[in-house]
Amino acid sequence: MEVGTRKLLDRSFTSVGFLAIILMAVSLVILLQPIIIRGGKAFVFKGTVEYRKLMREQFGRGNVEELSMDLEEARLARKPVYDLLDAFENEMKEQDSSFRRQYRADFRELKELLEELLGPREGERRRALIRKQYGQTRHDRSLVKLRHVIYIEGYDYSDTSGMGVKVETPRAELFTGTSLEPLFGILETDIGKMMKPKLTVYWRFLFDKSIDAHFFGGIWPEMLGTFYLAFGAMLFAIPLGIITAIYLAEYAGTGRFVSLIRICISSLAGVPSVVFGLFGLAFFINTVHISSSKSVLVGAMTLALLILPTIIRASEEAILAVPHGFREASMSLGAGKWHTIVRVVLPAALPGILTSTIISLGRAAGETAPIIFTAAVSVGKPLSLFQTFSQPTPALPWNIYNLATEHEAVDEIRHVQYGMVFTLVMMVFLLNLAAIILRARVSKRLRG
Amino acid sequence: MRSFFRMIAAFSVALVIVAGLATANVQAEERIVIDGSTTVGPIAKAFAEYYMSLHKDVNVTVSESGSGNGAKSLINGMCDIADMSRFMKLKEFAAAVDKGRMPVAHVVAVDGLPIIVHPSNPVKGLAVEQVRDIYMGRINNWKEVGGPDVTIVRISRDTNSGTYESFAKLVMKKKKIHENTEYVGSNGAVRQRVQSTPAAIGYAGLGFVDRSVKALAIDGIMPDHNTVSSGVYPIARPLYMFTNRYPKLGTHLHAFVTLYLSPRGQEIIEEIGFIPVTKY
Repeated sequence: MEVGTRKLLDRSFTSVGFLAIILMAVSLVILLQPIIIRGGKAFVFKGTVEYRKLMREQFGRGNVEELSMDLEEARLARKPVYDLLDAFENEMKEQDSSFRRQYRADFRELKELLEELLGPREGERRRALIRKQYGQTRHDRSLVKLRHVIYIEGYDYSDTSGMGVKVETPRAELFTGTSLEPLFGILETDIGKMMKPKLTVYWRFLFDKSIDAHFFGGIWPEMLGTFYLAFGAMLFAIPLGIITAIYLAEYAGTGRFVSLIRICISSLAGVPSVVFGLFGLAFFINTVHISSSKSVLVGAMTLALLILPTIIRASEEAILAVPHGFREASMSLGAGKWHTIVRVVLPAALPGILTSTIISLGRAAGETAPIIFTAAVSVGKPLSLFQTFSQPTPALPWNIYNLATEHEAVDEIRHVQYGMVFTLVMMVFLLNLAAIILRARVSKRLRG
Repeated sequence: MRSFFRMIAAFSVALVIVAGLATANVQAEERIVIDGSTTVGPIAKAFAEYYMSLHKDVNVTVSESGSGNGAKSLINGMCDIADMSRFMKLKEFAAAVDKGRMPVAHVVAVDGLPIIVHPSNPVKGLAVEQVRDIYMGRINNWKEVGGPDVTIVRISRDTNSGTYESFAKLVMKKKKIHENTEYVGSNGAVRQRVQSTPAAIGYAGLGFVDRSVKALAIDGIMPDHNTVSSGVYPIARPLYMFTNRYPKLGTHLHAFVTLYLSPRGQEIIEEIGFIPVTKY
């Protein structure tokens, strides 16, 4: 080959590599940017006076005097709205029945919408569900609700050849000529005074329990559950994995039986995770009866099975990569085989083993399928260490799925779902970062 | 090597700290494990939070995996309460009795099964027979029932679901659902699919239907509190919680499973959007 062609090939190879890296960086940004921006809104947002009231009543946080001042101001701002409602109610009573019939349904819907926005009126019967006891706690949501109050979302079906077209008509048109008409203008101009939004940093989102099935509060039970599951899986998988790897690399030799074991381990790595979940349910719970119901313990054991092949293979490779001279030198100084492995081979292989374990830790934290049947629930308390032996727990990956699909009010609490995703991604990111730092330190010490 | 041990030590210390934090928060002793229907799920979750707020020492966990799974869980003794949106099948009863468990049904609420479409769909109502024909594949286009010329997208719950079984019994009457039907795993997912697909038709529990989808009048009757509780709306069914035998009086399980009889329990059911069994 000519020098020119070689250079050209070399250069094109470099540029392809460079391009691949850029492509990866761009896709990472595209992937992470919405996670960070939307997830961040679970922590930093414009909290309304309803939010501060909720925090005071449910968690006992916040300045009482400031809150009562805020509440008083909000009450004053809301008063004209309620006055208009009362006036209209009187008007309905005084007018004839055709008037009542015309407005009754619309008026009821308006009152319902207003309650969703502002919360129940003072002096009304306390609602049973906490989500109904407060108005909108986040200003972005209260603006959405305000829009629902001011505009009717209807559909125009006049074109019969296709589906209807969305039309928004001002709700005020329903009430033209009545005493209720000015209400909508007041709402639109004074919404800020009624809700009193303030920039709020809710870092305790991470450490608060959830209130009313994730409507309010934080994600502590989920975080804790994820920790338990991931570290519990490590507790089982690390000793088992490393011992297996030592056996395979140092003692087993090359028999047919050993290669069969190797093939088995490799294929185990390719088994879909949901199969592990079903196995955990069928074996650990229904056959061995490790716990009577789903539990963190069973979930951790199932996750351990899932990550075991990765740890074994990676650790074995790391052990095999230790130069043979190390072993010979140790032996020649009179050390036995066991002594050599523990004192010489393992420390040298440690960086490789560490990398594989921490990557597996991230995987265990993020897996959903294995824990559906073995450990995860949608609502539960944070567990103590002792309770993990017998009780199931909420966990981030499962609850993200649950909030995205099953929850009865998916659209109202998207921010919680995004916050959970953000937290999980950050957890895995920090774990990997810790792994890199740890690995760098260990290999530096080994070299020095 | 020392570093290796030190690492393990640091690791265990971290674990103990996390555990310590957790124990400081709660010291729950008793537990109630609930599994099953995604329709009953919101009721169970709200009851759980309410019950835990009254009894700080009880941990009530709720999972929503479908009525079929709930029944299996109860048969295998994996849960204390199985939420179900259909009655137990004969086979499930037999399996439970074989294992020495006697399922007892508690009807906690009544639920209508609204047939939902995208709000842009001009169709206002259907007859039960028309819904059946749609799901059997005899009607494939909205124009056949007075709508625009658009192919119908059928959404159904998965076969593990009690809502599916109720639908099969009340609407399909043993006729097979057409193979060109999309099956999804929860009530919420049905609503989301219908929300985002103008040509879709689906069905979900009353508590899951909000302004983002349009419920159809069935045989001329809209599903609401009055029409469902009076039995006028044709597609309605009770919602159950199953326990193994009747729970011992005075236990937390008994108190929990009879919550639906209390005024507070009925208010909760009503506010979620289902219909309490009795009027107090």
